[in-house]
Amino acid sequence: MPENVSEHGGAASPADDSIWHWRCKVNGQIIERDLPASTTLLHALRDHCSLTGTKGACEEGECGSCTVLLDGAPVNSCLVLAAQTQDCQVTTIEAMASGRKLHILQDKFLAAGAAQCGYCTPGLIMAAAALLKQHPDPTPDEFLQGMEGNICRCTGYKAISEAIRQAAQEWPTPPEVP
Amino acid sequence: MLYQPQILEEALTLKADLGGDVDALAGGTDLLVALSRGQWRPKNVLDLSRVVERSEIRKADSRFSLAHGVTHAQLTRLPVRALAEAALSIGGPQIRNRGTLAGNLGTASPAGDGCVALLALHAEMELTRAGRGSRRLPVRDFFLDYRRTELRPEELITRVVVPADWTSAWHKIGKRGSVNISVVCAAVARSPQGRFGVAFGSVGPYPLTAPKTEALLNAAALTPELIDEAAAMAQTEVSPISDHRASAAYRRAMCGTLLRRLLTEHFLNGRD
Repeated sequence: MPENVSEHGGAASPADDSIWHWRCKVNGQIIERDLPASTTLLHALRDHCSLTGTKGACEEGECGSCTVLLDGAPVNSCLVLAAQTQDCQVTTIEAMASGRKLHILQDKFLAAGAAQCGYCTPGLIMAAAALLKQHPDPTPDEFLQGMEGNICRCTGYKAISEAIRQAAQEWPTPPEVP
Repeated sequence: MLYQPQILEEALTLKADLGGDVDALAGGTDLLVALSRGQWRPKNVLDLSRVVERSEIRKADSRFSLAHGVTHAQLTRLPVRALAEAALSIGGPQIRNRGTLAGNLGTASPAGDGCVALLALHAEMELTRAGRGSRRLPVRDFFLDYRRTELRPEELITRVVVPADWTSAWHKIGKRGSVNISVVCAAVARSPQGRFGVAFGSVGPYPLTAPKTEALLNAAALTPELIDEAAAMAQTEVSPISDHRASAAYRRAMCGTLLRRLLTEHFLNGRD
């Protein structure tokens, strides 16, 4: 492992990395943390907020596993500095279920068997939530454009597409995405 | 040290004061990859993603004036076909929501999809240095060499200006349907007076224009024969290399193919 890569796969902080006072509304709660300024949103969530539902995989914006909503829009949390979300609203997979009641997308993913290893699932659900919020009844083009930033290496996408299509049929009946 | 100005004036002053000692960070879709790989170790960072007027799009005199932080997602909704299509081909929604047109220019990747559209559209850009005002230059004069541009260390790209009344089209050949780097991309644009712009990506050290091909197209009415001539000419104006994505010969041939396709589908018979 090159010396400049931390065990989390993210960049190690350079020695002179200044400390940033990060303040952000995460899943409806205001969070304040002192972080190295180079901390990505992905690592701020996972390593400093114990929100490990958001997964890091490629950490270069290719796979979409780390997708969260930033002020309602899907972003790769590996490509955003936590500092760049100052005073913004971040929504992660942890906010999708209300108590023990799963979000409609989670229900449909389960019913369709849309996961094998499951590592890409949180990112897919966040991307799908953003897609259906913008296009409750997406055309095939809108569907592809909304989901093309996420890859799954196990399932072949058929069950995933089916799950999202089924969720769309009951949209927007489910509780709003926070 | 991370600087996060909220107003453009402040950002410009910081850039003018710190010059080469501070790296401007726009959407972060290139720089954060470099950070993650340990290839980018900035001394100081100027985060432009919180500047309040960054997303502004103004229309005046049949031109769109785009502020520095306009994202690819915003461009997909702009009624400038080549630019909107280029923006839609970039990454997935996550990348399009963060990446910016000015960042695409500043990165100056040979494969910069947005840059290719801007070149074909004869777009202009505004470079600003605090205390010295702005200079306007054609995007065609911006790229100097591989990832080397006209942008001086004390300047920021503040606006990009594109014509609103040109006909234009864009096409990319890539390895996947999405989230891919162009193997070749091409854009063609035509002004209401009939002046053409032709540009290619991933076939040279920076996004390229094809001036001889443009001159051919400007000189006569568009016919299938002229399109063949232009497609042959375009292949002589690009300088592709072979790499893991494609061979130089394939890229050169595809420049002709893409140009023929774009001209035939969008410009012959006065369509669009």
